Amino acid sequence: MSAADFNPNPIPEQGVYSSAVAPAKEPGPTSAGNKLKSNRIDGIIRPATFEEPGTDDEGPVENLPVDVKIGQPLKSRAQPGYYPGYNTLSQQKFWDEATRKVVLSRVNEVPPIRFFTPPEHKLMLAICARLLPQDDRDKEHKIPIVNYIDDRLYHDRIEGYRFEDMPPDREAHRLGLEAIEAIAHKMYGHSFVKLGPLEQEQVLQTIHDGNPPAGEEIWQRMSVVRYWTLLMQDAIEAYYAHPYAWDEIGFGGPAYPRGYLRQQNGMAEPWEKDEQPYPWNAPPGSPSAGYKPLGGASGKQTPVGQEGTH
Amino acid sequence: MAQALSNEKRRRLAGGTVENRSSGLAGLIEETLPKAIIRDTTIVEQHIREGQFQRSLALVTGFSSLLGGLEVAYEHYRGSYSQRIMYTPVVLSGLLALVGIWGAFNRRVARRLLPVVSGVMGLDAVVGFIFHVRGIARKPGGWRIPVFNLIMGPPVLAPLLLAISGFLGMVTAFLRQEEDLGLDRQTTQSYGSSNAKPNSSRLTPWGVSHEALTLEQDIREGYFQRGMALAAALSALCSGFEALYSHYKNNYKYKIQWTPIVLTPLLFAAGIGTIWSRKIAHTLLPIISVLAILNGAVGAFFHLRGILRRPGGAKHPIYNILYGAPILAPLLFAASGFMGLLASLLRRRD
Amino acid sequence: MKEPLLGSFKAKPEPGEHRLGPIQEIHVPMRKYSQDEEVDFCIVGVGSAGGVLLQRLARAGFRVVGLEAGPFWNTERDWVSDEAGSYKLYWNDLRITGGKNPLALGANNSGHGVGGGSVHWAGFTPRFHPSDFRVCSRDGVGVDWPISYWDLKPYYALLEKEMPVAGPAYYPWGDPHGYTYGPHPTAGVSNVLVNGCTRLGIGVSIGGPVAINSGSHADRPHCIYRGFCIQGCKVGAKQSTLVSHVPDAINYGAEIRDNCMVSRIEMGPQGRVTGVTYYDPDKKEARQKARVVIVCGYAIETPRLLLNSACPGWEQGLANSSGTVGKYLMAQAGNVVMGRFDELIRMYKGPPANSLTEEFYETDPKHDFARGFAVQTVGPLPIAFAKQMMVAKGAWGWGLRRVMMDYNHWAPLGVLGEILPWEDNTVTLAEEKDQFGLPVARVTFNLHDNDRKLINFATKKVEDILIAAGAREVVQEQRYAHLVGACRMGSDPKTSVVDGFGQSHDIPNLFVCDGSILPTQGSANPGLTIQALAARTADYLISERENILEGRPFSRISPPVRHDLSPEGTSGRGVPRLKGTALKVK
Repeated sequence: MSAADFNPNPIPEQGVYSSAVAPAKEPGPTSAGNKLKSNRIDGIIRPATFEEPGTDDEGPVENLPVDVKIGQPLKSRAQPGYYPGYNTLSQQKFWDEATRKVVLSRVNEVPPIRFFTPPEHKLMLAICARLLPQDDRDKEHKIPIVNYIDDRLYHDRIEGYRFEDMPPDREAHRLGLEAIEAIAHKMYGHSFVKLGPLEQEQVLQTIHDGNPPAGEEIWQRMSVVRYWTLLMQDAIEAYYAHPYAWDEIGFGGPAYPRGYLRQQNGMAEPWEKDEQPYPWNAPPGSPSAGYKPLGGASGKQTPVGQEGTH
Repeated sequence: MAQALSNEKRRRLAGGTVENRSSGLAGLIEETLPKAIIRDTTIVEQHIREGQFQRSLALVTGFSSLLGGLEVAYEHYRGSYSQRIMYTPVVLSGLLALVGIWGAFNRRVARRLLPVVSGVMGLDAVVGFIFHVRGIARKPGGWRIPVFNLIMGPPVLAPLLLAISGFLGMVTAFLRQEEDLGLDRQTTQSYGSSNAKPNSSRLTPWGVSHEALTLEQDIREGYFQRGMALAAALSALCSGFEALYSHYKNNYKYKIQWTPIVLTPLLFAAGIGTIWSRKIAHTLLPIISVLAILNGAVGAFFHLRGILRRPGGAKHPIYNILYGAPILAPLLFAASGFMGLLASLLRRRD
Repeated sequence: MKEPLLGSFKAKPEPGEHRLGPIQEIHVPMRKYSQDEEVDFCIVGVGSAGGVLLQRLARAGFRVVGLEAGPFWNTERDWVSDEAGSYKLYWNDLRITGGKNPLALGANNSGHGVGGGSVHWAGFTPRFHPSDFRVCSRDGVGVDWPISYWDLKPYYALLEKEMPVAGPAYYPWGDPHGYTYGPHPTAGVSNVLVNGCTRLGIGVSIGGPVAINSGSHADRPHCIYRGFCIQGCKVGAKQSTLVSHVPDAINYGAEIRDNCMVSRIEMGPQGRVTGVTYYDPDKKEARQKARVVIVCGYAIETPRLLLNSACPGWEQGLANSSGTVGKYLMAQAGNVVMGRFDELIRMYKGPPANSLTEEFYETDPKHDFARGFAVQTVGPLPIAFAKQMMVAKGAWGWGLRRVMMDYNHWAPLGVLGEILPWEDNTVTLAEEKDQFGLPVARVTFNLHDNDRKLINFATKKVEDILIAAGAREVVQEQRYAHLVGACRMGSDPKTSVVDGFGQSHDIPNLFVCDGSILPTQGSANPGLTIQALAARTADYLISERENILEGRPFSRISPPVRHDLSPEGTSGRGVPRLKGTALKVK
């Protein structure tokens, strides 16, 4: 392994720190803030309007990752990931009662949809199915990402801050849905929900890259890259809070009163499983399979990390 | 011939004492313990006196206590000496090591100081055992998750390992020195009078005192094979149990980690079997004991290697000795083997 | 074992019991002061500094009331061993963030509830270096402190015993010293840091300094190595003032009113404050009179409260004649650099805070920037790690799923770089209002040239460490940690808000004591320094007892160190260690 094989992802000398806020076409933070204020003057956030869900649903599109060894699609399974048979929920008797209640209610009492309107809900389902695709999970083990996002927005739970170039979270989500719909129409002439998975990914990729081809007026009111991180964070918070996701990635789950005893060499606890990796690829042509810098290659919009780690 | 005769003489002497003392406490004990053990415990005083290797055993006590002391010093360092009482086994082990080695050269120390320090050590070990049991109870989940908390909590049997040193020290105190064999009556009397117990010299088999004996024979003068074998068995059990769960913590990554676990029940069985069977004492016990000693040496090597292979290796020696494989633990296991070997060389009464 | 003996763990709800851990409880009923009664001290915010002040002042016999915006945690009932479920530990009320390099707030920093940020800090407790107190004289940047390291040193040593801090017996950087408790065992991430540093010949401190028990400490158990430090330590092994100082404060008659949001500090005649106005748990307005008010609201809420307390005569905000309230806000560069390894790491095991190096802490003439940085272990749980991957790799969709399946192969290390105090990094009032109708804080943050150079160098260095440790791929995420400043201390009333004891220059009976008074912040985590400053301020207030009770001016004389005011059970513990050099070097 030579040094050239490493991918140290160096920070560009210019750009990263110079302006993390706005691409050229966006107004500065101050004017964006003013715009938002006027936008919220009546205090009512109106749901965006969309094409009504059609009756001519084509049914689920086959969009499975590929087993590299045999070149065939991987079958949907109860538990994707490299830790077959690993089950954090099976350890719930070792958890303290407060934790057990919180985790079990997350799994068993999925919150209903109360914030999103039915068309918004449908669109959001389609979007989240691409943000964190679960095609390789069987029906019983799909994680209801949208319900958790809806619950947060319904209760207006915020993270404790808002970027000055962003509207409040509820409004941002509604504006974002509108913009995604607009991009889908611009790029493919159809509603997002009617597009194939790869086309849907192409639509979302433009926002990821900070370069959406439509919704100009909406992006005047909120930063593209901040909207993308908001959307992704919400999806991540829903998906990776779920025990099924912990089983998938081999995370130990709650650990109190019982902690961990094997800290060295990545050893599994007696109740954990050893890793059994299998080679797989994303569905052919999937844009999200390649890692592109967030906010585009220019690095103009590289966002700040959001999570407390130290 | 002289040897056999003197043995016969001794046997009679000892037997008489048993009869004299079999009432009272001994009588009570007699009803609750196997006969073989009772006989040994009630005449243990005399039997130990038969041994004449006080110097050697004092050194053994000293060194085993040194090992135990070093072990407890850093184990308690890992527990941050969060209570002052955690210093007591360290201080006592150090003291016992000192007194043990000093006792090898000074009879007064061996006879007077050694039993006191050993007794306190034993007491401290029991207190430590209670604290360790309580420490596990106070961990989150307590004894309801015994496997986890035994491994991550204070090592529950470790204090009893220190008690073994105390036991050795106690035994040493009642032995005679090697030179006593060649001493004249006058000196022996003064030695007898220096003893805390009255009439002790009366029990000493003076008939053999002028015989020239080799070191091996000296050890054979000891009559407490059963006691020593029991000590070896218990020590192996404590040490082996530690190995069992600390190796489990490492998930028995290396096959060789199983060897002390396999040897422990064997050594324990041989030690216990020695109480009843002379044959085991002469066959199984020495074989297993030697294996345990070798295993301890091999273990120490692998533990050292493990320490050097840790992140930072020899560049962070103190930290890696602290949190690497416990380098002294295999030696404590070897010490159990050493005790077993010693026991097999000792004499016994049937 | 399929289940614990006697079945699954159940909470034992006993009315009136207040549990702070598996065996720690508050026994005595809390003293209650009447709102009309003028207490000696009213402490706004019972967090890192507030908890220590409350304990010290109550022990010294003062009548003390602490007002806390968040709840008084019953840890067994309220805290969970779950990442998403620990949302309530953070200050989640709205704040607006902006500037060229806006800070993420919320979970990232300030806490909400008794114990404050110390409830969800990772627990790293390095001391500041002597050089940190003289940044301007030495390096010509930032500003000097009004006190020196040697003024604070006895309090560092004292707090390290009270917390207690686990770490090596000899810590080589800054003023060399040793720690009260022994170091912790390493886990996957710290092994990577140790390996990388050792191979590059960089010194590294293994297993500390962290305020996490490496031995049981009275009724606080030994750490169980579960990695949920920043989700609140249910074990009670990681120090928060909630478990270390608050129980002792209650024992000595302090009162804590939880869920009480202070809205303004009341100014009286003669240029002195008379007490505070707050919203009680029922959101009704209430008042508390006090001889002295101490604001301990941290770097955002403290300036916000002072600014919100503007009144005739103090139109700029209380204690703001200098105009520096809300200015010189600092964060530390907290970039996370992540390396992927062939072998398993399992970063969720063991406390995230374990090992660090301060080898690059001081200004190096070879660099093109002033000051330096530290490198520390971190251990994000799945949600945090996924968010980091979203930023660092631009991961989403299948790419995110794939990289997350490798969660156990990644080792993240955190940069902790000094960002200098700049006047344009501010806390001001926004037009938005919170649930009480109070203007929320607007935080503006910009990086400057020195900061950018430092960050670039630091992330490069951490990449080198990871590659030396055997990483196959290295990515980094830009972020910030540890808000301090915005009410800084100084000798000159024209350029600072408070003096070296936290006493405001303008109003003699108004004190500020928290992270906001730090003039600069080095590259050490500020938690220990904040608590040490609080202990020093407490000693000062105690030594001024007569002046406080009689309403006379303060002497401004350095107080004697009170070793007798530590919480119950502090003494008689710990390992032999280096107590620190007596020499005032440099």
